[in-house]
Amino acid sequence: MTATAGRARSDTAQQAPRRRRPGLVIAGAGLALVVALLAGIWVGALPLPPGAVVGTLFDRLPGVDLSGGLSATQEAVLLQLRLPRVLLAALVGAGLAISGAAYQGVFRNPLADPYLLGAAAGAGLGATLVIAYSPSQSLGPVGVVPLAAFVGALVGVGCALALGTAAGGSHSATLLLAGVAVAAFLAAAQTLVQQQNTDDLREVYGWLLGQLGRAQWSDIALVLPYLVPACLVLLFSGRALDVLAVGDDEASALGVHPGRLRLLVILAASMATAAAVAVSGLIGFVGLVVPHIARRLVGGAHARVLPVSLLLGGGFLVLCDLVARVVLAPAELPIGVVTAFVGAPFFAGLLWVGARRR
Amino acid sequence: MFRSTRSSRPPLVALLLALLLALTACGNSSADDGSTEASGSGDGQWPVTVTGDNGGLTLDAQPENIVSMSATATEMLFAIGAGDQVEAVDSSSNYPEDVPATDLSAFTPNAEAIAGYGPDLVVLSDDLNGIVDALDALQVPTLLLGAAADLDDSYAQLETLGDATGHADEAGEVIADMQDRIKAAVASVPQDVEGTRVYHELDPTFYSAASSTFIGGIYSLFGLENIADGAADASGGYPQLSAEYIVGQAPELIVLADTVCCDQSAETLAQRPAFDTVPAVQTGRVLAANDDIASRWGPRVADFAEQLADVLKG
Amino acid sequence: MNGGAQVEVVGLSAGYGRRPVLESIRLTVEPGGWLAIIGPNGSGKSTLLRSILGFHPHQGLVRIDGVPTTGMHRRDRARCLAYAPQTPVLPEGVTTIDYVALGRTPHRPLLAAPRGIDRQVVADVMDRLELGALADRSLATLSGGEQQRAVLARALAQQPRVLLLDEPTASLDLGHAQQVLDLVDRLRRQDGLTVLSTLHDLTLAGQYADRLALLSDGRVVAEGAPAEVLTPAALRLHYGARAEVVVGPHGPAVLPVRSANRSEA
Repeated sequence: MTATAGRARSDTAQQAPRRRRPGLVIAGAGLALVVALLAGIWVGALPLPPGAVVGTLFDRLPGVDLSGGLSATQEAVLLQLRLPRVLLAALVGAGLAISGAAYQGVFRNPLADPYLLGAAAGAGLGATLVIAYSPSQSLGPVGVVPLAAFVGALVGVGCALALGTAAGGSHSATLLLAGVAVAAFLAAAQTLVQQQNTDDLREVYGWLLGQLGRAQWSDIALVLPYLVPACLVLLFSGRALDVLAVGDDEASALGVHPGRLRLLVILAASMATAAAVAVSGLIGFVGLVVPHIARRLVGGAHARVLPVSLLLGGGFLVLCDLVARVVLAPAELPIGVVTAFVGAPFFAGLLWVGARRR
Repeated sequence: MFRSTRSSRPPLVALLLALLLALTACGNSSADDGSTEASGSGDGQWPVTVTGDNGGLTLDAQPENIVSMSATATEMLFAIGAGDQVEAVDSSSNYPEDVPATDLSAFTPNAEAIAGYGPDLVVLSDDLNGIVDALDALQVPTLLLGAAADLDDSYAQLETLGDATGHADEAGEVIADMQDRIKAAVASVPQDVEGTRVYHELDPTFYSAASSTFIGGIYSLFGLENIADGAADASGGYPQLSAEYIVGQAPELIVLADTVCCDQSAETLAQRPAFDTVPAVQTGRVLAANDDIASRWGPRVADFAEQLADVLKG
Repeated sequence: MNGGAQVEVVGLSAGYGRRPVLESIRLTVEPGGWLAIIGPNGSGKSTLLRSILGFHPHQGLVRIDGVPTTGMHRRDRARCLAYAPQTPVLPEGVTTIDYVALGRTPHRPLLAAPRGIDRQVVADVMDRLELGALADRSLATLSGGEQQRAVLARALAQQPRVLLLDEPTASLDLGHAQQVLDLVDRLRRQDGLTVLSTLHDLTLAGQYADRLALLSDGRVVAEGAPAEVLTPAALRLHYGARAEVVVGPHGPAVLPVRSANRSEA
């Protein structure tokens, strides 16, 4: 008995160094996010002296009184334009990335992304309907377009879930197909509305391609109540996803309810996606690519992939937004274009490396 | 709204019609370029040959059933007194108030629908969906007058329409009036206005118009400096700016061309984050122009110039 | 370890759509016993196992120590019954130790982090199955036999009272098959586990199991000690096979006979 206990202990000792590595990666990802945020705040169409920027930011903290050294215009740009924009990019990127990782876990499919169950098509339709037909652009302090996009995304997912469960239970393959059907239908409806109202074409496309250019503090306030709880739920569902990864039957034998678990994760991920999409339009590739990067760094266990995806996603989108702002300054690239330009070659690279390994 | 499709006959008919169009298009003579002058100015001198972007067009008689698919052309036609000859205008034509508006769409033009009005002249500003070829195939006289690059273009278009409709004299009067009014507006502003930085906003996502555009040319007349010029390399004169850039450029005059489409005004402008540091907002030098007046290249550009002068004068 | 539980199957019927596959199955496995379910292809062996586990809708009762499984909470059932499937899903990018640790799921709240006791059990189980050296390797890089051991380790990490094995030797060569079955037998004796397995190899079934149940056309046509069930007559009747049954030191062995003409009188 002692011998086995001794051997068991030495085994655990051997495992300990490996267990520390994921912690390192998470810390590294967090650091990367902070660096990205700083870069995003320092760089932009209007040059701001970095030292003065830091000074002004610290001055904002209660109890600290530093003279910033920025003019009124510069300070306004920093605090009312750049800072909310960078923070929103981090929030949206984090939300999309963790949702993507959760979807990939739930559907056991590395090609899943947060828009799979009709969230994108639904949001697009909602936004297009409002842009085309709404007489006013805001309902009190809340813009109508974000509201419509949020509702549209949830409706899209709801339809896919309803269709999937009605058609054949909560198996992942059925849900996937239902999602494809709903997305196709809603996308067709969106195109129809768009073509009927070609005056608004530019605004619709601008929204569809994703934009963070009009980020304000009010957008952050709008998004947080939905994004934060959803991301918390997802962070805690990593272990559940690991159990789901062995298939419905085996997961059932391990004492979990795969259908219910799947539903919970899908709802949380859809909520996060809807919130992100509401304020930033349809930014693609983040939810698809970032979880893959995370998996390369910490392996396939969802308990680790999800938090790393969250942090990396935030940093990734902040950097993409930086590129979008700077490459053609003062004009801006739509951010969806930048993420696609980064994401597509990345995927090609993944395929290449994977094929050669085999 | 949706027509039910019946048997296989409609597709067959469509196929035959397409074949017919293709054959006649092949046999149709291509539009010739080069300048052909109006043989005969003033009323009553027919036939007349005019030149549009789609080449020369010869009209044998004064057109009495004109269909206008361009909002600006509609304004021009009515301004030169050809309003009675206009049968139908497209859905975007909204000035003057009593134009015979229809559901015809300028963005997705339908040759059959246009032909349904039996036009003897169709004026367009864009050749979308192959509409010019389609109308040629149906042997409908078509005049393509695209967006003007500058005021001279605009005057040339007025002359062309004047010749084509038999109102050349009135067209000349309208042109002279525009020139006088614009000149007066420019002269009326004080000397120190020169170099004032202006931001022309096309929509709330910060699309702007640079000096190479028609409306940008008006600003150049007043000697204003257009902040969109710094970004004009992309997007052919209509770059999308960023809030940061605009605020950083501190424009002293802002012209909003999205007051109708997007409910923008001096108040909404002031509410945008960081815009309260912009000189134009602080001094109240914001021209909330009518979208159409600020974007069309018709006679109302003189109105725009006058409004601009008023704001600049303070 | 609580020791094995008694498993009773009473009147179990199941089917796919309108096609009946199992009819009124009645089985009993005593605590610590090993029942091997044998039968020709299509007799319903896997369906039976899946029905007992609750994956497949069925009529009739399954009782563990007298308690019907339908009344049990999922998690309680998972603490009693552990399942090692024939073709397990091996998730990508997961290490062996993480995979085995999944077996602890029924013993703690789903979202809670693994506790000391969980780590201890996993380490113990991996030790017994000699997977210690493979702990940090990705599952996909293990050999077939090692993967089988990993699946078994996961099942044992559940600390079950009944082990349900679906064709544990299906893709293994003779040597590895014997290794796995030896292991299961040893664990069974050490922990007092009840084992219920489907086996298509009749000789292995005869040598390792306490009792056999022969399933044919959805019914239990024979049940008892291996020597009683494995008879040439039964094999000819239910399998349509020609074979002799030789009694060995550990149980009957089935020898296929090539043809009536070539056998020596």
